[in-house]
Amino acid sequence: MSKNLSELSGRKGLEDNLFDRMGKLAERDGAPDTAELDKLAEEFLVGSANTYGTTTFYDFLKPENKGKKAYVCNGTACVCAGTQEKVKEELANHLTEDEIGHMTCLGRCHENSAFNYGGQNYSGSAIDEVASIITKKDGTQDAYKVESFKYTILTEEFSSIDDYYASFRATLKRDSAEVLENIKLSNVRGRGGAGFPMGLKLGFCRNVESDTKFIICNADEGDPGAYSDRYLLEQRPHSVLYGMLIAGYVTHANYGVLYIRAEYPDSATIIERELELLRAAGLIGKNIDGSGFDFDFKVIRAQGSYICGEETALINSIEGQRPEVRVRPPYPAEQGLFNKPTIVNNVETLASLHYIIEQGGAAWKAIGTERSSGTKLVCLDSFFNKPGIYEVEMGTPMSTVINDMGGGFKSPVKAMQIGGPLGGLVPVSKINDLNLDFESFAENGFLMGHASIICVPESMPMIDFLEHLFDFAAYESCGKCFPCRLGTKRGHELLRKANSSDYKISKKLFDDLLNTLEEGSLCAHGGGIPLPVKNALNYFEDEMKSYFE
Amino acid sequence: MSNTAYINNIEHQFKDDETILGFVRRIIGEKLIPTLCDSPNLDPFGSCRICSVDVALEKDGPTKVMASCHTPITNGMFVYPSSESIKELRKNIMELVLTDHPLDCLTCEVNGNCELQDVAAQVGIREVRYPEGENHLDRTKDLSHPYMTSDLSKCINCYRCVRACDEVQGEFVLSMAGRGFDSQIVKGSNQSFMESDCVSCGACSQACPTSAISDIFQSKAVQVEETTRTVCTYCGVGCNLEVATSNGEILSIQAPYEAEANSGHTCLKGRYAFKFYNHPDRLDSPMIKRNGEFENVSWDEAYNHIASELTRIKASSGPDAIAGISSARTPNEENYLMQKFIRAVVGTNNIDCCARVCHSPTALGMQRSFGTGAATNSIEDLDHAQFILVVGANPTDAHPVTGAKIKQRMMKGVPSIVIDPRRIELAKYATYHLQLKPGTNVALLNMMLYYIIEAGAEDAKFIANRTEGYEEMKKEVLRLDMDELSKVTGVEKDLVKEAALAYAASKAAMEFHGLGVTEHFQGTFTVQLIADLVMITGNIGIKGAGMNPLRGQNNVQGAADMGAQPHQGAGYLDVTDPEVNSRYNAYYGVSEVPSHVGYKIPEMFDAAISGDLKAMWIIGEDVVQTDPNTNKVIAAMENLELLVVQELFMTETAMRATVVLPGASFLEKDGTFTNGERRIQRVNKVVEPIPGCKVDGQIIVDIMNKMGYSQEDYTGPSVLEEVAGIVPFFKGATWEGLGDNGLQWPVLEDGTDTQMLHIEDFKRGKGKFYFYNYEKSREVERHEKEFPYIITTNRELEHYNCGAMTRRTGNVDILTEDVLLIHPKDAAKEGITDGDFVCVESPRGKVDIKAVLTDEMKEGILSSTFHFPEIMLNIITSDEHCTEAMCPEYKVVSCRIRKSKGKPKMVAEASV
Repeated sequence: MSKNLSELSGRKGLEDNLFDRMGKLAERDGAPDTAELDKLAEEFLVGSANTYGTTTFYDFLKPENKGKKAYVCNGTACVCAGTQEKVKEELANHLTEDEIGHMTCLGRCHENSAFNYGGQNYSGSAIDEVASIITKKDGTQDAYKVESFKYTILTEEFSSIDDYYASFRATLKRDSAEVLENIKLSNVRGRGGAGFPMGLKLGFCRNVESDTKFIICNADEGDPGAYSDRYLLEQRPHSVLYGMLIAGYVTHANYGVLYIRAEYPDSATIIERELELLRAAGLIGKNIDGSGFDFDFKVIRAQGSYICGEETALINSIEGQRPEVRVRPPYPAEQGLFNKPTIVNNVETLASLHYIIEQGGAAWKAIGTERSSGTKLVCLDSFFNKPGIYEVEMGTPMSTVINDMGGGFKSPVKAMQIGGPLGGLVPVSKINDLNLDFESFAENGFLMGHASIICVPESMPMIDFLEHLFDFAAYESCGKCFPCRLGTKRGHELLRKANSSDYKISKKLFDDLLNTLEEGSLCAHGGGIPLPVKNALNYFEDEMKSYFE
Repeated sequence: MSNTAYINNIEHQFKDDETILGFVRRIIGEKLIPTLCDSPNLDPFGSCRICSVDVALEKDGPTKVMASCHTPITNGMFVYPSSESIKELRKNIMELVLTDHPLDCLTCEVNGNCELQDVAAQVGIREVRYPEGENHLDRTKDLSHPYMTSDLSKCINCYRCVRACDEVQGEFVLSMAGRGFDSQIVKGSNQSFMESDCVSCGACSQACPTSAISDIFQSKAVQVEETTRTVCTYCGVGCNLEVATSNGEILSIQAPYEAEANSGHTCLKGRYAFKFYNHPDRLDSPMIKRNGEFENVSWDEAYNHIASELTRIKASSGPDAIAGISSARTPNEENYLMQKFIRAVVGTNNIDCCARVCHSPTALGMQRSFGTGAATNSIEDLDHAQFILVVGANPTDAHPVTGAKIKQRMMKGVPSIVIDPRRIELAKYATYHLQLKPGTNVALLNMMLYYIIEAGAEDAKFIANRTEGYEEMKKEVLRLDMDELSKVTGVEKDLVKEAALAYAASKAAMEFHGLGVTEHFQGTFTVQLIADLVMITGNIGIKGAGMNPLRGQNNVQGAADMGAQPHQGAGYLDVTDPEVNSRYNAYYGVSEVPSHVGYKIPEMFDAAISGDLKAMWIIGEDVVQTDPNTNKVIAAMENLELLVVQELFMTETAMRATVVLPGASFLEKDGTFTNGERRIQRVNKVVEPIPGCKVDGQIIVDIMNKMGYSQEDYTGPSVLEEVAGIVPFFKGATWEGLGDNGLQWPVLEDGTDTQMLHIEDFKRGKGKFYFYNYEKSREVERHEKEFPYIITTNRELEHYNCGAMTRRTGNVDILTEDVLLIHPKDAAKEGITDGDFVCVESPRGKVDIKAVLTDEMKEGILSSTFHFPEIMLNIITSDEHCTEAMCPEYKVVSCRIRKSKGKPKMVAEASV
């Protein structure tokens, strides 16, 4: 979080972006050449330590990535589904070990067996046809069920640009303060997990004086199990772009950045294609519709790091700094990208604005519960009889989601990870106690997060699941704060040792570790990991106690 | 009630913008909340989390853990800094840290002075319960560099070094690489310190809480018996240093965080280049040259010889056959005594100092415009500057701490102009780089004035209320032809216009200049035009603005203040004014101080060659190596009957002396230095002079007494008292009153000092505008046909002037030689490739020097340094001078080049 590096990177604006340039340097070999990185450092005046330091952070820029051809998904859904050993074996028939890497969650949680080859994603039965994939290099668009219940808002069919953006053109004629009030009225809360009211955040940013402001769409929330962002980006791209334009209009921001996961290659391509259509329709650029409002977009492809879903790490990433979490204050709304006021919103949150603008904030507010308004997309993994994405009204009983919409489980499940690795671990016995809203989850000692569900099968030992969880947490820790950098590693080591030998973990030590992570960590990564672990220790005490002193 | 918060339920007032940590430390003390990643001169970072505290919104209410270093304290907060659970948390974090840290404290370099050790002790950690896991204890040491060392097995990933390199020095040599548990500090793209772009400032070493990054002097080790605060001897920034000693030997140097001049920072010269002080080459006995050989003699014999020679010459040729050059490296008190000796004892005004060859045009020009020849504002004003103008200065090399501060501001987006023929480091960060041809400053500044006037962007109110001569200047400026001047300067006129208007639009623009302004044929005029620019935009007398010469030597400001110049005595009083002289007579207790202006340094050389000057006394200045046209200087030296040189080393000048007196370095004496922002700071003796040497002030006192003038023995405080009695702006300066951070003159009788000059009025009443038209350098005019290239001289970070000191330190391993910077196209044209030796020839002579290809100058312009006597670059520089102040034109030298014939002179063989 160097203010100097933010400024220096910002000098070139978004067009000539340092992080983008690093990505381009890696295109040929999988990692940039050191001499080329040195040159880049000289051009941007940031020092070669920084270009080197940044690139070594990312899975797809670091020197070890050189020569990788295929990546096996090691996201939680695929791990729990137990499909990935076969994927590895199949790929190994055609590629050397050095040519195979891994990616964390390709968003194919509904059918698993996911892998990436030659920049394209594959899943389901594709692994049976590796030989032809290697010759054709043709990606597969997967199919998954998308349904809505009662309200069809986020999943609404897209009509046409003219039709869809008519309300945006109309909004440009309205006072932006009034538009913001409408958003505040809706009480739409951030869908990334924290649930912060969007209207308040937009208001903070609006009130900061600055000639430059940014709207960032955080399309790098890499929580395994949640492929709803991918759905919106690929199937409903205009809902996201529309939301960014509105956010820009009410905050007086003139730039939108879509920071899109490397694991979703199609998403970036589709967004770029649709942006061209918007430009052709006169909805991007200077003085849109004669309103005096300027807005332009930049798509940035992420390079493989879960922590970039944390908003300040994401901002550092765009700047070409190491994506380490920043301290707050200053909040991004005051000092974000290039030290300018910045809004970072999740894909789904932005997608909600179209309805709010068209139907009014009150209409959105009327859906759901008092404090959790609107609808929510819920992703169900392959353990459900009907995997897919469901648009659900907030406040709906989880039993309805799981049993009625998802059709129940295909095979025995003992727990569900709901809301990602930092969400809770919900035993199936608690299903009937939960409704789909922020408050219900919190009251029961869980976290709704993005509400997507990964099932832990009966057959999977809970310690295996926790070992996987800590492995993920340690692997994806940015390393900035002491508790997370060291604690996730030691947590993983303790569980692995107990799982693979007769070593017994001291309960006091483990509790101290979890508390240290929870209370001491700088961000929700280290701070959030203890929740599912504590849930597991609480609800699966019998299974877990043999690993402890 | 506002700004109220509670610590352990007790109410306290907090300050605006205070963090919880700052608040608790201010109220309860530094120690209560331990920290690891926090550092006094760095922004809060929040990585170690050791500073966590419990915070509630009501008394004994539900608490939340917050990192106190980056959480602002707010109204009604209840802070519990040491609750039981917080103590547990800190202990648990420390336990994690120790799972990846060697437990070899007893043999560790920083044992006893390690922040990790302190915090571990404070939190009371007794065991590490984790089973042995992965660790980084096998990382190898980096011992590649003459000063910097690293042992990253000791690293705790607090990022303090990375942040110091970024936020303090602005160099970005350090970063973290990899991520999570595997993240580790890297230098450059995973290089050693020596391979990296490290500038060896040592900020990282000072910032490191363990011994992960340190230096060869082990500056954090605790063998220290004593630390002494003093002031650096190199440039005019005036960094405060804390010098650690044991058994009378200097161990290491650190920069005190609370020092106003340098806030915990310094450069490789200040921090590391001190080993010259007891170098075997130090002169340790007075010597008299007999039959061409130096012979060691006793002090008495030397004094008797000098006194009898001076008496003889004075009797036979008059006092004006004697001249002195005082040293801008020595304290005010010694300069005062030297000029007093020359004036009151010898009886001549033939006294000058090296300000002549650097900032004499600044002093003269600013006196003409404002009435005072010193920086108008303070370096601290940079924090308030909204625009920065750097003219002919390369501060990141020559004034590294100020340079780093300017760079920090430029990086943070403060708009700026750099006017320099070279693309110096700051030019890369500046908004505008006006890359003019050497010797065309006057033309360029006139263009800026023209465009400001043309656009009506001047500060009319300031001009009307505070200045005179504007209309006359304006009339002349508007007559100028911009196309012609654009051609002269080689700078696009539109670019000049844009830059000038941006400068004029700023509410507070701060100007800095250096020798690229003064060392010119039109040096003084350039200074006056900068003053015009500052006044026309009202950028003086306000915070964050002003005109600020970057004084070259540590005490060049002081040397002139003390009267080491031929036309003004102590305190800038006119030596031709009878009233002034009667004051001097009374104060010095003599019947008649001389009342006609004496020789300036170049005039001394002329007089020596013509035979009018027969004796010279030079303190701590190597005129042979550093004054222009070496052969002429040597001729002058060799024609003298008596040449007394007070020196530390056998310099090129000392070699030509008739008597050499071994003086003492700044580490061996008391006194005061005055830095470039008029800050009078105490120099405290750190060690005794090495055997055989004497404090220079005492040498002068001895000779004064020998020649019949009664002067009491030298001590810093007593001479300062004498200075304060005669120099008006030192009136309230006392040894005690100066304190650790010094005082900025004028110091009023009650001890109040002055951060900013000319707030209400100028010293001379109204500020005066001048107009001067550009005139081509006579050097170029005369020689450009035969000598088509221009070589301009500059400085390198690692060496100081003649290098007598820095070449006797580890700096010489970092920068080993002077080189010739040449544009690749010129090189190609002349058949020269990188590393070739080039013969550079001027009308005065020629030198062989190694070529380094760079496009940092435009074609036709060469650049080099004169730090090494093996090259003696001043053989080729000219004795053209500023027409007003007689400052030599080092910056514009006509020359021609060709690849050296035969075997080039090997620098390495000749080096020390």
